[in-house]
Amino acid sequence: MPDSAPSRRPPADGGPVPLPSPLPGGDPVLAARFAAPPVPRTFVRRERLGERLSEGLQRPLLLVNGPAGAGKTLLVADWAATAQLPGPVVWLTLERGDEAPGVFWAQLLAALRHAGVPLPADVAGPARAAEVDTALPDRLAAGLSGRGTPVVLVLDEFEHAGSPAVAEGLDGLLRHAAGGLRTVLISRAEPLLPLHRYRAADAVAEIRGTDLAFTAEETAVLLARHGLALSEAGVHALNRRTEGWAAGLRLCALATEHADDPEACLREFEAGNSTVADFLLAEVLQAQPAETQDLLLRTSVLERTHTGLADALTGRQDAARILEELRHANAFVTPLGHGWYRQHTLFAEILRVHLRARNPGLEQELHRRAAGWLHAAGRLADALPHAAAAGDWEQAAAWLVDDLALGQLLGGLDAARLDALFTRMPEQAEGPAVELVRAALALARWDVDRGLAHLGRAEESAPPGTGSAAARLSGAVLRVLAARLLGSADMAENAAETAAELERAVPEERLRAHPELKALLLAELGSAQLWEGRFDAARAGLTAAAEAADGAAQAAARHESLGRLALIDLLLGSPGRAEAHAVEAIAEAARCGLPPSAHSGVGHLVLAEVAFDRDDLAVARAALERAAAGSGAGRDPLLVVGLAVLRARLLLAAGDARAALLALAAAERPSPADKPSPWARERIALGQCAAHLAAGDPAAALRALTAAGEGPEPAVAAAQAHLAAGDPRAALAALEAVPARGARPAVAVRAQLVRARAVSAAGDPAAAHRLLAQALAAARPDRLRRPFREAGPWVRRRLQERPALAAAHGWLPRDLVAGLPRPDEPAAPAPVVERLSEREHDVLVRVAQMMSTDEIAGDLHLSVNTVKTHLKSINRKLCATRRGEAVRRARQLDLL
Amino acid sequence: MPMHYEIRVAGTMSETMLSEGFPELDSYVVPSQTVLFGQVVDEAHLYGLLDRFRALGLRVVEFRQLPD
Repeated sequence: MPDSAPSRRPPADGGPVPLPSPLPGGDPVLAARFAAPPVPRTFVRRERLGERLSEGLQRPLLLVNGPAGAGKTLLVADWAATAQLPGPVVWLTLERGDEAPGVFWAQLLAALRHAGVPLPADVAGPARAAEVDTALPDRLAAGLSGRGTPVVLVLDEFEHAGSPAVAEGLDGLLRHAAGGLRTVLISRAEPLLPLHRYRAADAVAEIRGTDLAFTAEETAVLLARHGLALSEAGVHALNRRTEGWAAGLRLCALATEHADDPEACLREFEAGNSTVADFLLAEVLQAQPAETQDLLLRTSVLERTHTGLADALTGRQDAARILEELRHANAFVTPLGHGWYRQHTLFAEILRVHLRARNPGLEQELHRRAAGWLHAAGRLADALPHAAAAGDWEQAAAWLVDDLALGQLLGGLDAARLDALFTRMPEQAEGPAVELVRAALALARWDVDRGLAHLGRAEESAPPGTGSAAARLSGAVLRVLAARLLGSADMAENAAETAAELERAVPEERLRAHPELKALLLAELGSAQLWEGRFDAARAGLTAAAEAADGAAQAAARHESLGRLALIDLLLGSPGRAEAHAVEAIAEAARCGLPPSAHSGVGHLVLAEVAFDRDDLAVARAALERAAAGSGAGRDPLLVVGLAVLRARLLLAAGDARAALLALAAAERPSPADKPSPWARERIALGQCAAHLAAGDPAAALRALTAAGEGPEPAVAAAQAHLAAGDPRAALAALEAVPARGARPAVAVRAQLVRARAVSAAGDPAAAHRLLAQALAAARPDRLRRPFREAGPWVRRRLQERPALAAAHGWLPRDLVAGLPRPDEPAAPAPVVERLSEREHDVLVRVAQMMSTDEIAGDLHLSVNTVKTHLKSINRKLCATRRGEAVRRARQLDLL
Repeated sequence: MPMHYEIRVAGTMSETMLSEGFPELDSYVVPSQTVLFGQVVDEAHLYGLLDRFRALGLRVVEFRQLPD
């Protein structure tokens, strides 16, 4: 069925909104951010400042700080175009929103690429706006430090990137890029860099407001450029009145350009006390023709305007002529090329004030028209904030959904911005698209119940068969995501089938423009299938998602998919492949600057498991800590189970069976998944079995195995339990279910070891040695030391009997091979399942002060139930059953 | 916690700028300065005001909290 185009409102004053013609190749607006603005013919080159800039460039950092309209940008643009520079210039004009570190670094990398600066291979565009791992600036710095000629990086309007996180990353880049980078920061505000340190090290040069002020001589030159000849006294008076402020002088020139007696004209201004820009801009505006005034006021609501967009806002057809005239007169606007212009930021601010005064209430209508034009021009990201400013939430949501851009809410660079925008959507907004956006917002916060409620409402308001295919496709993708959080492969597969049918009904180029939607679907579908143990199907989808086109929006899907592929390899018994996939997952995250808190954690979990089987317990513990710091800890059922199982194994290795059982109990209901996973159940049962065995209770160990399935691994565990109970015959019988060949290495090794011990107990030492040799051979490729450690004393005695066998396996732990004393591992405390949240920490601190639940609730302004929930969570994370125990554990771990 | 503030700007601001640029504040003019005063809702509002003065090319010469 064909998609109906969103209906466009006609402008309130009648007549259709003129449609823009498609923009020729590339994005001229974006390209304009990577180029110094053109210098107008009235520009006055001031040698004293040019010399200061060239001299300052010998230091890593050059600051050009001054108020709005001080002439900072043109000064640096002219110097960069004409001075002798040591290397290529990379220009970047920052904008609102660039204070998000992910956005800042993405723009910076794009600017470097645009200028043809080669980038290191291990750096890609950041995947998230809110955070960037510190490795990204460090890697970039390392790449730049090897250059023969430095890059001259100019960051204009740096006040828009004024967040501490950006400053911190930039400080790292400046300090580590050595001689490969010279940075010029143009800003209205002092940057948040530790400038005292730069000054002490003579690593910064500064040009400030007083330096930028025009001298009387420079003022005379500027006025002459504008064709004004003033007396020396007049020039001095004007210079005093404006304090040499470039914007004020330019406005003076514009105000008096066409006056018969400019001196007289300016005398009135000089005598007054009015604020300069405010007063003069009004004067200059009044002097313009009515159409020009109208156009300037109306387009002041835009970041940038285009001739067609300006026509849409004025309802006339004269923008091309007027904007060109203004450019020619060097008044108000800078051309960006391809019909795009930008207003001088200071003048635009003041013009907006005048717009509100002259046309109260018009702003909303202007935003509405701008949104319509920008959307029709294919500039969705620019259109949405205008639609929101116009209060057209339903329209904004419909555009996002119809463009198949809903995936951008769930991942990628724009997610934070879109999330912040649509979170402001009022309750009253309604309709299928609005509900889909709300569902996406809820699912992005792991809130399945709310997500499903909104999805249901979206379907009610547009029953199947109606509504646009794009909306139904987006709904299906969100349903796959919800199914994954619930752990339901059936639901995910059904929704994915629906999505596959709908894909044919939407325009192909729209699907191609948003590959993140498909990547998201594949990654989530594969995760749901993995949870239910449908490994082959999961592997196919996850492989496709992992190979998704390179791009920030898909980075998270790629990273998650690689981690899950690693987990499948691990569960199917290929530790080598698992390790390779896990390393790839972690490298992908690092390349895209994902900070540890945004890692899925599955990659680290797999590495920890592999390390554990190799008996590298310290490595396993460190990797477990990293996995527990990831975004999925406590929320992603895969990780909840995985962390608990591994933790139990580590606790057992440290000899604490009771704590291991507690850790496993926490994983039996891994919320929010309400569908139990067969392999997760099996792994928990196996862990419980091992813990009971370690505690010397084979009967309980066998009971625990009833929850496990029929596979080879439970059979080996049962055999170990029978052996521990002193029944080698039953052990051998249990092992008949395990194939001698083709089992996973970790299982095969343990099976042969149990067989060896069983026949040894039954009195056949030769057969026992043969089986031990087979076990060692099976374990060698992946260096699986752990099973031999678990069977420690028995293995050590056998190897002492057969030194040749020991000599052939030098990879074994030394103490097993040579009968050496076991190397002292520092007794590490049981690892924490995951970090305590800030609130949980607050609760724990008060528990440590012996406060009651009610007192804590009162003190923290929380409900008693919420405090109880926090206490449960604290006990789970610290592996404790009671408050006192939790406090004791917390003290051991230095958490208090 | 709303607080009373008084902000002094160099020069005489126009009526338009006062009523549309700073609708939440009252003002009066003294020789060569405009004095704006009124309730500031919180810190975000305070920094927002400072930003607004800067963006409109106005020079703030004094910014102080008044006793309630």
